[in-house]
Amino acid sequence: MNPAQQWFEANPLWFKTAVFYQVLMRGFHDGNGDGHGDIVGLREKLDYLQWLGVDCIWIMPFYPSPLRDGGYDVADFTNIDPVYGTVDEFRDLVSDAHERGIRVIVDMVMNHTSTDHPWFRRARHAPPGSPARDWYVWSDTHDRYTDARIIFIDTETSNWSWDDVAQAYYWHRFYNHQPDLNFENVEVQEAMLDVLRFWLELGLDGYRLDAVPYLFEAEGTNCENLAPTHAFLKRVRAEIDAAYPDTVLLAEANQWPADVVEYFGDGDECHMAFQFPVMPRMFMALRREDATPIAEILRQTPEIPDNCQWGLFLRNHDELTLEMVSDEDRDYMWNEYAKDPRMKSNLGIRRRLAPLLDNGRDEIELMHAILFSLPGSPVLYYGDEISMGDNVYLGDRDGVRTPMQWTGDRNGGFSRADFAQLYAPPLMDPVYGYQAVNVEAQLRTPTSLLRWLRRFIALRKEHPVFGLGTLDVLETTNPRIFAHIRTFRDDVVLCVHNVARSAQAVELDLSGYAGRHPVEMFGLSRFPRIGELSYLLTLAPRGFFWFTLEADEEDAADD
Amino acid sequence: MTDLDAMIDDEQLVEWLTAQRWFASKTRDVAEVTVAEILTLREDPPFGIGLLEASFHAGTHELYQLVLGVERGRVALDALTSPPHAAVLADLLREQTVCESASGTIEFHWLPDAPPLPERTTVRPIGAEQSNSSVVLDDAFVLKAFRRLEPGENPELEMLRFLSAREFPNIATLTGWYEMHGDLLTATLGIAQEYVSDGRDGWELALDELGADPQRFLDRLHELGEVIGRMHAVLGSDLTDPDFAPEEPAGEGLSLLTATIDEEIERLFIRLPDDEPALEPIAGRGEEIRDRLQMMSHVGTGGRLIRHHGDLHLGQTLRTPDRWVVIDFEGEPARPLTERRRKRSPLRDVAGMLRSFAYAASASEVLRSNAVPADWEIRARETFLEGYFECMEMSLLPAGQRAIESLLGIFELEKAVYELRYELDNRPQWVSIPVAGIERLLEEPIG
Repeated sequence: MNPAQQWFEANPLWFKTAVFYQVLMRGFHDGNGDGHGDIVGLREKLDYLQWLGVDCIWIMPFYPSPLRDGGYDVADFTNIDPVYGTVDEFRDLVSDAHERGIRVIVDMVMNHTSTDHPWFRRARHAPPGSPARDWYVWSDTHDRYTDARIIFIDTETSNWSWDDVAQAYYWHRFYNHQPDLNFENVEVQEAMLDVLRFWLELGLDGYRLDAVPYLFEAEGTNCENLAPTHAFLKRVRAEIDAAYPDTVLLAEANQWPADVVEYFGDGDECHMAFQFPVMPRMFMALRREDATPIAEILRQTPEIPDNCQWGLFLRNHDELTLEMVSDEDRDYMWNEYAKDPRMKSNLGIRRRLAPLLDNGRDEIELMHAILFSLPGSPVLYYGDEISMGDNVYLGDRDGVRTPMQWTGDRNGGFSRADFAQLYAPPLMDPVYGYQAVNVEAQLRTPTSLLRWLRRFIALRKEHPVFGLGTLDVLETTNPRIFAHIRTFRDDVVLCVHNVARSAQAVELDLSGYAGRHPVEMFGLSRFPRIGELSYLLTLAPRGFFWFTLEADEEDAADD
Repeated sequence: MTDLDAMIDDEQLVEWLTAQRWFASKTRDVAEVTVAEILTLREDPPFGIGLLEASFHAGTHELYQLVLGVERGRVALDALTSPPHAAVLADLLREQTVCESASGTIEFHWLPDAPPLPERTTVRPIGAEQSNSSVVLDDAFVLKAFRRLEPGENPELEMLRFLSAREFPNIATLTGWYEMHGDLLTATLGIAQEYVSDGRDGWELALDELGADPQRFLDRLHELGEVIGRMHAVLGSDLTDPDFAPEEPAGEGLSLLTATIDEEIERLFIRLPDDEPALEPIAGRGEEIRDRLQMMSHVGTGGRLIRHHGDLHLGQTLRTPDRWVVIDFEGEPARPLTERRRKRSPLRDVAGMLRSFAYAASASEVLRSNAVPADWEIRARETFLEGYFECMEMSLLPAGQRAIESLLGIFELEKAVYELRYELDNRPQWVSIPVAGIERLLEEPIG
């Protein structure tokens, strides 16, 4: 049985109303003073995460790895890089988190391994056609599967790389040091299931499945979202459901909504999937002062099975991904949000939330408000809750992976090590540096973003309608306003957001709710009764209102 | 399926459970009550422990302990305080029985150093049954069974075991316990400890003596301060036991605490009624209180964190002719068990005790019509703290008198804010007590 069960209510749908918090362990807190964040350090910060109101921590890869791709290049799936600690320490971390009512999921890279993984070493040395060689995808030529796109276009020119040892090409959808596993091979499938069971036995609550669209390949296709990939994921789900209830599988499938929903199957595949296309449209809406792109993509988003949920984020952790927009929109976004070419990365922008929004407090709050109001479970990226900045001069996407800023003391309270020992320099610039931006200072300031966000998380969690309710995007005559209604049983919530830099008025057709009173959810102020005529609201620049629409008690008494 | 299982009428469970005094969630809407598990301890006549699961409409659940026995051919749903059945539990404790079943194990323990539990024990239920149920065995031991069960070791067992092993004299020494290890739950089910036959409830004693001889009670409070100081010193003395070793607080620990209290104050003041005269001394002073809290929070690191009583007040003490006895180490019953086991500053206990002096002074006037001297509460605080600091290991506290006072003030404010909310909801006539406490913190000079 899953050891988590004693700590939690049996609730297989817990993830539908959860708030997730994504942690880069290396950058969060250093418990042993070696300059790298670690498991012990994260354990020491569980009180903070509980205070913040986090329901589930998502830990980015901690497996032994040559770290050529932030740990997504795994060299051993059932172990932990010693720099983070041990498997036993990890078990303690999970059980400490459970005691606080916090669940833990980790990244699992199913599609590929590092070239350092013993499976790959064995495969490249094994004779062609042998069972060991067959764990990866080999070819004598590099012109197979030519319809598959190249993902990391900055660095890779082909999805095939030549291996001198094997004297053959191997297939890789990502970096050339990340060979794809051959899921046609039943032994690979079994090995991956064993890996999943290994961590679930320790009490883990689920996985964020990295890069799942690419498990299988087939000639004449783009090698994404293929039927056998879905079939395998369904099998994973069935095995996990049977042995580890209350577990979540969160698919990272950076695809259009119509393709992503296939990862839910008929409620028998992944429990969750990220809603990628909404994110860039929120940024677009903010810059263009036009909410239409958000409303449009939501209208294009299909219904999902009742036992499934979207994962929502303001950033796909290391970048603002721009794959799911048109070329024209991408140019617009690059132009607006990545003025320095160093800020670009592949098809995205490698910057943190606060710098993307010019550190505008109203903008940061508004973006969270829109995100929290949508159907799905929000995922926060570590450091964004205190508006941490980034460092575009660090290589790859390390610029958004700098040490968490806990205090204004040495190394920002991240580590007791010498500065030179730190895995990455903490930010020290006057605006975003740790002396200006840190948890300690924001805890002590009642009006800080951190304190605001905590109250906002608590507010969202008081209203399960945000996780469970239906979405009805309202037509407005003012395109600068994004307004919608969420409904779950008796709870009706109206959310109105102004994406413009100027104050706006909007008339909403709320005649379906005539007789109800909007009650503003933060301050509990009652607004005028809704009548048959359209309802007029005025909003401050980048302002928003959330209301519960409450039946008038006197009217109800008359019924 | 056991015999016991077959004999239980599931239809009646909801009504029966919600009528019990120890049922913790009386205000919640119970969807269903089921017998989640029965562990049979004796076959003939059938006797066992049952786990009752109450599910709520919100989708959550709670587990409760039942002791199931058969009386006159019918199952007794809750035989815990019935002498013949409690006697069976006593037998199991004495024999240190380990009962295995398909779904788990129940282990009974009697400490080797404890006085023996005689055969054919006399059993006497204790009338005042609240969140737990207790019986007196052989006029020498109390067997206390926990009702609402949560995973993990009960803090009362841990604390008593720790203090008993160090021969701390001011507790009712632990003599035994029983626990289950199962698929559904691993938890402490009950404990046995020395029965303090000649103890008087500290709260009742305070109310009486405040009328008869306030000075005498002050002397007793000095002694109580010494006892609590010594208790904290012992609790923070073992560096090798990970459950008890003192810890340095995380850098942001104190800020998390004050931020939480700050938001509670804000929420409370948004909703304060305008028409309550007792609120007059603090009306409109929410910002002032928050500023004061902010100032008090500048105390450096806030000292070390240790295991402590967790719900300390006069009602958690007994007074025998020759000593104080501290009882009920379970912590605040409304909080989750894991939170009650967490290490915190020992000053949290001290603040709880100081707040109870304020209540005692008022209650003695209201309930006993005693004329309590106007400065009694202040003298009580001073006297108690004097005794406490004499015996406490000061390295566990923040460095410097000012830092100690500030941290103590934070915990007192936290308590008083909680009390104010509670009294407004439940006992409007007592509102003035927390109000006076908050007002006192506001008036106190800083530094």
